[in-house]
Amino acid sequence: MNTFFKRTLIALVAVSSLLTVPAFAQQTVKVGMSGRYFPFTFSQKDVLQGFEVDVWNEIAKRSDYKVEYVTSTFSGLFGMLEAGHIDTIANQITITDERKAKYAMSDPYVVDGVQITVRKGRDDIKTIEDLKGKKVAVNLGSNFEQVLRKYDTKNEINIITYDSGLEQDVALGRADAFIMDRVSSVQLIKKAGLPLQLAGQPFEKIENAMPFLNKPSQIAIRDQVNKALAEMRADGTLAKISDKWFDSNITE
Amino acid sequence: MQSSFDLQYIIELMPILFKYLGVTMEMALWGFLFALILALGLALVRVFKIPFVQYIASLYISFFRGTPLLVQLFLLYYGLPQFMPIFIGMDAFTAAVVGLSLHFSAYMAESIRASIIGIDKSQMEACLSLGMTRLQAMKRVILPQASRVATPSLMNYFIDMIKSTSLAFTLGVAEIMAKAQMEASSSFKFFESFFAVALIYWVVVLFFTRIQYLLENRLNKAY
Repeated sequence: MNTFFKRTLIALVAVSSLLTVPAFAQQTVKVGMSGRYFPFTFSQKDVLQGFEVDVWNEIAKRSDYKVEYVTSTFSGLFGMLEAGHIDTIANQITITDERKAKYAMSDPYVVDGVQITVRKGRDDIKTIEDLKGKKVAVNLGSNFEQVLRKYDTKNEINIITYDSGLEQDVALGRADAFIMDRVSSVQLIKKAGLPLQLAGQPFEKIENAMPFLNKPSQIAIRDQVNKALAEMRADGTLAKISDKWFDSNITE
Repeated sequence: MQSSFDLQYIIELMPILFKYLGVTMEMALWGFLFALILALGLALVRVFKIPFVQYIASLYISFFRGTPLLVQLFLLYYGLPQFMPIFIGMDAFTAAVVGLSLHFSAYMAESIRASIIGIDKSQMEACLSLGMTRLQAMKRVILPQASRVATPSLMNYFIDMIKSTSLAFTLGVAEIMAKAQMEASSSFKFFESFFAVALIYWVVVLFFTRIQYLLENRLNKAY
């Protein structure tokens, strides 16, 4: 090894050790979201916004985190979490037994129900029983497919998965109904201007939370998030954010 | 559907999409550069029939031509980090460039190889009789002629690559397709959003088709 190379190497090591020393640096938390789920996470005039963004900005403020939003298709988010590209997902992830077993879930921050939505004027579909033999749209990677399968033990519902645009297909009549949580169904109908209507009452309670990998470093973030969420719930911030986007409190 | 076509929305959306056209073009240009280097290496390995390495090259080409680009991108970005933690550090943009390079190099290697073997064998023999090595002959005589033959098909792959960058939205790269999708999900103007994206791709491709025409003219000057 010649001396120039040696010196450069020593200089590099010295500089890099200096760079890694500062202990007061803010921790960056990467939060994955689809950016395609109005009004939870969406982009308008190139600005990422919505309920999830407000909630996380508040969590970051209270926890001295620097938050970085990573947008990807919904079906890709869990892959990114598994691969370590993001720390958590803020996209109305419903708590299920499978997810509880695999991930360190945060405390629930949204409580909702599963809702059927149909094309305006259709009154043949009111309950899950009526979906037999019908084409029913769900979002790819969402848990609504599993919810349906739980009721549909004889495999009589024709479930179709979509990455985006399922409301369009129900409005066009290509699918008979779509299944989503009640809150976003109401919002979707209001905003989309599509001929759609809610069919019957929500048929299952769902609680949404944020998943973290089961590793000490990630569980530490989860615990901090829970602390911040509890504070926000106690002082009314969470309800205020909910009011801003939904004109109602969907957090309890 | 009762909603009518909203031209105003497209006009408003265009500047937003244009901001991300840079990401799309960067992916395509880096992808094409690396693919070209890889493809040239692969083609030469196969033309010179380098022992053992040529079989690896054949296997490589077979795999990357025989599996969909989307599957390769998912393998790279979602799959590999589970087995090799070092790949966690690879961001979505890099993964997309690597995926595009690997995929298109396999196709381009074959079209480069075809244009090399299309140059008459007697030329190589003449060079060797003048005392050049095979590598010198390749560099000085064969490749300059082969590059003229290969240009149209390589430009075809480049145009294909520009359009294929749209798959990077599945990895979360904020390029024009992803932006169009995200804007559409809050405005619900799906037709307008995707139509705007289609127009942008089309104009870009027209631009490069023109470049291809000029490039071919230039390369054909001697003929």
